[in-house]
Amino acid sequence: MSLDLSVFNRFAITKRAGEIIFCEFEPGDAFYLIQSGKVKIVKIVGDLEKTLDILNPGEFFGEMALLEEAPRSATTIALTDVKLLEFNRANFEVLMQGQPQIVLNLLKLFAKRIYDQKRRFMILTLDDIQARVADVFLMLDENGAKPSDPADNSRVFPNSVEDIAHWAGVSVAKASETLKQFANQRRVEIHQNKIVVKNIMDFTRFVKSKRQE
Amino acid sequence: MPKATQYKTNSVIYFQGDVGDKIFILKAGKVLSKSNDIETKEEINELVAPGEFFGVKSALGRYPRDETALVLSDSEVLVFTVPEFEQLVLSNTRIIMKMLKVFSNQLRRMHGKVQNLIGHGTAKDAEAGLYSIGEYYFTNRQYKPAVHALTRYLTLYPSGRYAAQASDLARKAGQGVAQSDSTALFAAAGADDEPDFRPPTPAPVATPVAGPSDPSAAKGFFEAVALANQEKYLEAFKIFQKIVTTNADPEHSAKSEFEMGRCLVFLTKYDEAVKHLTALIQKYPKHPDLKDALYFIGRSYQGKNDMTWARNFFQKILNLAAEDEPVAIKTRKALKELEGAKA
Repeated sequence: MSLDLSVFNRFAITKRAGEIIFCEFEPGDAFYLIQSGKVKIVKIVGDLEKTLDILNPGEFFGEMALLEEAPRSATTIALTDVKLLEFNRANFEVLMQGQPQIVLNLLKLFAKRIYDQKRRFMILTLDDIQARVADVFLMLDENGAKPSDPADNSRVFPNSVEDIAHWAGVSVAKASETLKQFANQRRVEIHQNKIVVKNIMDFTRFVKSKRQE
Repeated sequence: MPKATQYKTNSVIYFQGDVGDKIFILKAGKVLSKSNDIETKEEINELVAPGEFFGVKSALGRYPRDETALVLSDSEVLVFTVPEFEQLVLSNTRIIMKMLKVFSNQLRRMHGKVQNLIGHGTAKDAEAGLYSIGEYYFTNRQYKPAVHALTRYLTLYPSGRYAAQASDLARKAGQGVAQSDSTALFAAAGADDEPDFRPPTPAPVATPVAGPSDPSAAKGFFEAVALANQEKYLEAFKIFQKIVTTNADPEHSAKSEFEMGRCLVFLTKYDEAVKHLTALIQKYPKHPDLKDALYFIGRSYQGKNDMTWARNFFQKILNLAAEDEPVAIKTRKALKELEGAKA
């Protein structure tokens, strides 16, 4: 980020690698902008810590707390030593006056998050599990890089079965079973660390037909 | 420069599903925004108010339009590119704030809908959830996050349902941290460039923006809570007092002031307890432990054999608290005791 943030140094905090920034279920009253280092967002599901995202300098987190003091919906941990700017409602106004560009970026982030949530909602309202899993690939494809050859309909996803299960809102066992059905129909290939969808247009048509049912 | 564009009746500015990078303001005329409710699929028709922006979210987020913008009568519309829009709002930050509120509201509603679908809507309560996170990290020998989560638990719920387990685990986790990395807990507030092996010295003047996470105050606080749970009230009192005097961390100072009062009651210093807790309530009329503070004032009067005042305070709590709150349950029990003593 090329902005001069030195005026906000009084809002700066540092965390060592491995330290929690905030915990899921804590009341939230501040949001953060990463100045240096990496932060991971995790959620404990059952007895596993699941990484939802890894954030880099210039990115925000905890922004849902801006207008409501709801409990945090995930835990954030410093992945490396990090330097953060911490803003609460009281000093948000200072940020707005001094650096409206940051707040504008926040507005863009909200626009994207609203869309992501709507897209996720669309996946979860499909009753057919196969269609849900297929729609997860369509969503990942929409967010991913476009292929160099537009006529190439095969897609490689660096995702795990756990990722697919998470987005489809089904158990890992169920997601794995569904992926095996697709593999038997030769629509996908499941590799160690990637999943190949042979024809993404096939999934587009399949999901569309299920959505109209 | 934004362009003024004329649209004829029945023309369409954009269709639902279009991908576009333009943002619009209605200057004159009538434009209808047509969309479908994401849950019910019901059609939603909304008139765009004159002077209102439309098409902002999809242009900023670069995703398909949610709605169709249909011209109902000949209209004049100002068309902005995203950079033009940015330039405008950066010089008029009130617009950003207003939109941020609208977006935040929509985001919260969408988030809630998704959480409902994946069954997290009825998730465990925050208190149990926070404790379970501490427990998870402790079980997995990740002591640093465990200490953080458990300390936060004890700070937020000093007399909570899992307080005893939490302070026990926090102590063990603290030992785990000490074994693996004796400097870790103290280093957090240290210098950026080089490791700092000294415990941080709290700033002499409290800076309210310094945040609620001064690790020395948090650590001291949890140690003192642990001592109080072991009925070592005098030792605990001294640590709480130090946190309040240092005042490096407003959140833990306020919590510690309450805890000092609680210790005084257990030390049977009832007069001091009443004085301390009354001052606390005046200082923090919205203290999270307000009802508990009233309870301990009541207990102090009970200790002084002043049953009338004890009853007054207990009654006041029952008026304030919900039926099933732990403090209400404690209070009803205390009132019953009072009645028993009278009989």
